[in-house]
Amino acid sequence: MRHLPALGSLVAVAAVLAALPFLLSAYHVALAAQVGIFFIAVLGLNILTGYTGQISIGHGAFMAIGGYTTAVLSRDHHTNLVLTMVAAFAICFVFGVLVGLPALRLSGVYLALATFALAISVPQLPLKWSNFLGGRDGVQTATTPSHLWLYGAAWTASAILFVLAWLILRGRVGRAFRAVRDSEIAAVASGVELPLYKTLAFGISAAYAGVAGSLFVLATNGFAAPDEFAVVLSLELLIGAAVAGLGSLWGILVGAAFVALLPTVSSSVPVIGSAHGQDVVFGAAVVLVMLLIPDGFAGLLAQVRRFARA
Amino acid sequence: MATADASRLEGLRNRGAALGGFNSVISLLLVAAAAALLVGSLRSSTFAQLTVEGLALGAVYGSLALALVLVYRASHIVNFAQGELAMATTYVAYQLIQWGLSYWEAFFATLGIAFVLGTVLEVVLIRPVLHRSAIAAVIVTVGLFILIDGVVTWIWGGDFKFMPPPFGTTIYHVGSVSIARLYLGILVVVLISVLLVWALFRFTKLGLGMRAAALRPAEAELVGIRVDRMLAIGWGLAAVLGAVAGLMAEPSQLLLEPTLMQPILVYAFAAAVLGGLESPAGAVVGGLVLGVSLTLIVQYVPAVTSELQLPFAFAVLLAVLLIKPSGLFGRRTVRRV
Amino acid sequence: MAVNRRKLGALLGALLVTAVVASAAAASHTGTPGVSKNQIVIGGTFPLTGPASLYKTIPAAEQAYYAYVNAKGGVFHRKIVDNVLDDQYDPSQTVPQTQKLVEQDHVFAVVGSLGTAPILSTWNYLNKLKIPQVLVATGDAFWGNCVHHACQGGTKPWTLGWQPDYPGEAKLYAKYILQQNKSAKIGVIYQNDAYGKNYLAGLKTGLGGSANQIVDAESYNLGDSAQVIAAHLVALEKHGADTLVIFATPTATIQALAGRTAIGWNPLTIVNNVSANRLFELLAGQNGASLNGIISTAYLASPTTQANLPGMKLAKSIIHKYAPALDQSLAQGDGNIVYGLAVGWTFVDALQHAGKNLTRAGLMHALRNMKETNNPFVYPGMTVQTSKKRTFPMEQLKLEKWSGGAGGDWHTFGKIYSGLH
Repeated sequence: MRHLPALGSLVAVAAVLAALPFLLSAYHVALAAQVGIFFIAVLGLNILTGYTGQISIGHGAFMAIGGYTTAVLSRDHHTNLVLTMVAAFAICFVFGVLVGLPALRLSGVYLALATFALAISVPQLPLKWSNFLGGRDGVQTATTPSHLWLYGAAWTASAILFVLAWLILRGRVGRAFRAVRDSEIAAVASGVELPLYKTLAFGISAAYAGVAGSLFVLATNGFAAPDEFAVVLSLELLIGAAVAGLGSLWGILVGAAFVALLPTVSSSVPVIGSAHGQDVVFGAAVVLVMLLIPDGFAGLLAQVRRFARA
Repeated sequence: MATADASRLEGLRNRGAALGGFNSVISLLLVAAAAALLVGSLRSSTFAQLTVEGLALGAVYGSLALALVLVYRASHIVNFAQGELAMATTYVAYQLIQWGLSYWEAFFATLGIAFVLGTVLEVVLIRPVLHRSAIAAVIVTVGLFILIDGVVTWIWGGDFKFMPPPFGTTIYHVGSVSIARLYLGILVVVLISVLLVWALFRFTKLGLGMRAAALRPAEAELVGIRVDRMLAIGWGLAAVLGAVAGLMAEPSQLLLEPTLMQPILVYAFAAAVLGGLESPAGAVVGGLVLGVSLTLIVQYVPAVTSELQLPFAFAVLLAVLLIKPSGLFGRRTVRRV
Repeated sequence: MAVNRRKLGALLGALLVTAVVASAAAASHTGTPGVSKNQIVIGGTFPLTGPASLYKTIPAAEQAYYAYVNAKGGVFHRKIVDNVLDDQYDPSQTVPQTQKLVEQDHVFAVVGSLGTAPILSTWNYLNKLKIPQVLVATGDAFWGNCVHHACQGGTKPWTLGWQPDYPGEAKLYAKYILQQNKSAKIGVIYQNDAYGKNYLAGLKTGLGGSANQIVDAESYNLGDSAQVIAAHLVALEKHGADTLVIFATPTATIQALAGRTAIGWNPLTIVNNVSANRLFELLAGQNGASLNGIISTAYLASPTTQANLPGMKLAKSIIHKYAPALDQSLAQGDGNIVYGLAVGWTFVDALQHAGKNLTRAGLMHALRNMKETNNPFVYPGMTVQTSKKRTFPMEQLKLEKWSGGAGGDWHTFGKIYSGLH
């Protein structure tokens, strides 16, 4: 991803995105917005997992923090929704760094399980401080955006954050990230300040998840409740990142579309259908996709390119 | 390979040195904790009851944690579907009982079925992917987590099922202490299962083969051990331990529903990490420690209100990991640069 | 022959065009979404999979009732099509599924959706679009309180509940407790969310000056183990409670009933009616709970103790014909099935009153001016009634007590209490 896809394809993507609201029904525009939301979250997770090799199964927790930030600010102070997204970005960056610090001591699967713990614990907190955070009945924003606003916000934020990611990854920080992933020992030996970059990666990915969380709540008619941020959300983010694979913008799009759309589509599958559908179809799809393309969509693209070149 | 060699030597050498010292500290701490539990139980009947209850629940966590560790030692991945697999095999037992088997007939039949399911799972869904990408294999288990839940709800529905209590509903009264036969039964069953697995590893040729395959697969292959087969058996055994956990969890919760194992999986992760993912003994001890701690804390520390339990457990877990990043019994791998 | 063929072709073409125009005309006959000459399309969101999937018998029973009505010709010759969608009790899924119902399926009304948080996440959207969100399956007081008063940004006149609400039910329990024992020491175990807290608040209101007789209130979280529930019971007993009120969801209720017997405690026990489905108590009994004497309330007819009522016979035949998988459950007393049939009945009744020229406003008018005295699935003598002042359709309950031990049943006693909300 440090190499931008060809300018042509970027323009094409932008054009398609701009045209979609005019071509799709309002319901499908809302679905397209969901893809944008997951795009941001998966992108952030990609930076952490793909580029510094730190696995997190807890980014749903950061989405929750971002989402509740938006909901509470809007409910109590009628803050402009875009400002709440910026606030979510900042707050989650801080939390991400805070989580990244102890995470330095953990590696591999221990880190994954520790972040899993985070994914489970954070959604419990609104139940504790239910006066402020609404308990199980949730927090409702003061204003609810339209499908179109949501779509625009999600994809604009996606574009901005994508460019930001590209800038980070092509520069010194990106090189440091990749060094950390490839060999921590070599990185340290070359003078890369491990703690700084690993924590930074956590902060950035958490900030991205926070923005995604804001949009996620806004897409739920502005309603934030603990049931929306169950562990499955964090697992879906991880699935999205795995389906995306590493190093491809298209991969991230595909990964985001996979987790944003498949569960909803699953309930319309005939025979299995709505009554039994979701979990069975989505679960089976995840297993199948991983069996067929273990390196994700990016890996598939790389294979195709190699094949085409041969 | 040099790194792995070095770390093993390091580990062996360190048994008498600092790391080994650490291990003795931990063992001392555990003995002290056990003593404290004993004293507490003698002084307060509530304490005694809660300790037994905590140990029983902890045994269930430990059984599932041991399953996780077996899988981890074999394939170096975490099987997210271990809990759901355990739940599904419990439903299989339920169905067998519906079809006329007695509880214990169904119990042992289910263990056999679980073994087969575990091996098939490894061969068909994990092995093909694991070579290419570890993360892909983990995602396969995540997909299974979701899929198994869906399939069980489809076949049996989401409502409650009743299974005959394996140990009856008797309550023993020792002085002023009431101890449910259920908790004793759970402890005995899990203990026997764990001991059998330990005996398998320690005393049988198969067990030796499995240990070799896990530790040094290339070398094991050279001496004629079918590593692939060993891995599959490892997963099969893990599924059996999971089934034991599920079959013991159900009577403790009084009813069978698809969400039975979900909280338990979480505690099992915590127990496995607490004990050190490569340590079978650590997983079981970790489970027991977790079970007793949680039960006592709910009772005696009112500040930890019900919604804070889980976060509290994980805060403690994190604290332990910060001090000992590879778990209580884990061996820290020292990397030679 | 060629000439004939051409004529035939022209004739067929004319017929085709006529058919298309006619069906288009029929489709837009009333101009109301979801309503055509021969169909009414409705929908609802329910937890068909996921943690609350034990309630999926409710939409199944509703669909069975509509199938029965359709077999008799439907309502004004329109057959009811009910699109039930799964939201797994997760508001972030309720929202897109509801949008799908509205914007893809063009439903006439959203009927019967289950769960407080799911409803709260969609009620602004549906009210803004003036789409009926009716007969929702939750007893929260919001659905009655927010019709004329603004909640979360505005009044919600398009949202309507059905079952007696939780605070009203709790007030009846308060009354009963004080009747039985003026100086009762009350212990409450309640779920730590709005569901449980609404019940507790209702109980306190009902107790009035005697609210200080609640010696302890223990909250538990959904998903807590049976051992945690038992620990709460121990605490309640230690506080000296001689009356136990359980405001919980079914799993915890079963565990609490069995738990209190296991610790050798036998207080006067009250269970909320969501958890008083006979199937749940049977399960508690199988786990050793002492059930005789426990108290709850009823607003539906019982398929077991009132099997000879025409309504219960009808229920049995409808389920047998249109949802045979639920036969056994119904025979054992599954109240959720009766609930679904009763809600279906109310909806069809309202459709009939809304008239042939069916509009959304017409449906709401019918639902807000109901006086159902003959719903065969509701407890005999109870009315489903609404008016400008009365925004809670059901405000009546009858107390019931369990007898017959582990294989026994609920038996109602006393009078029908009214005005409960």
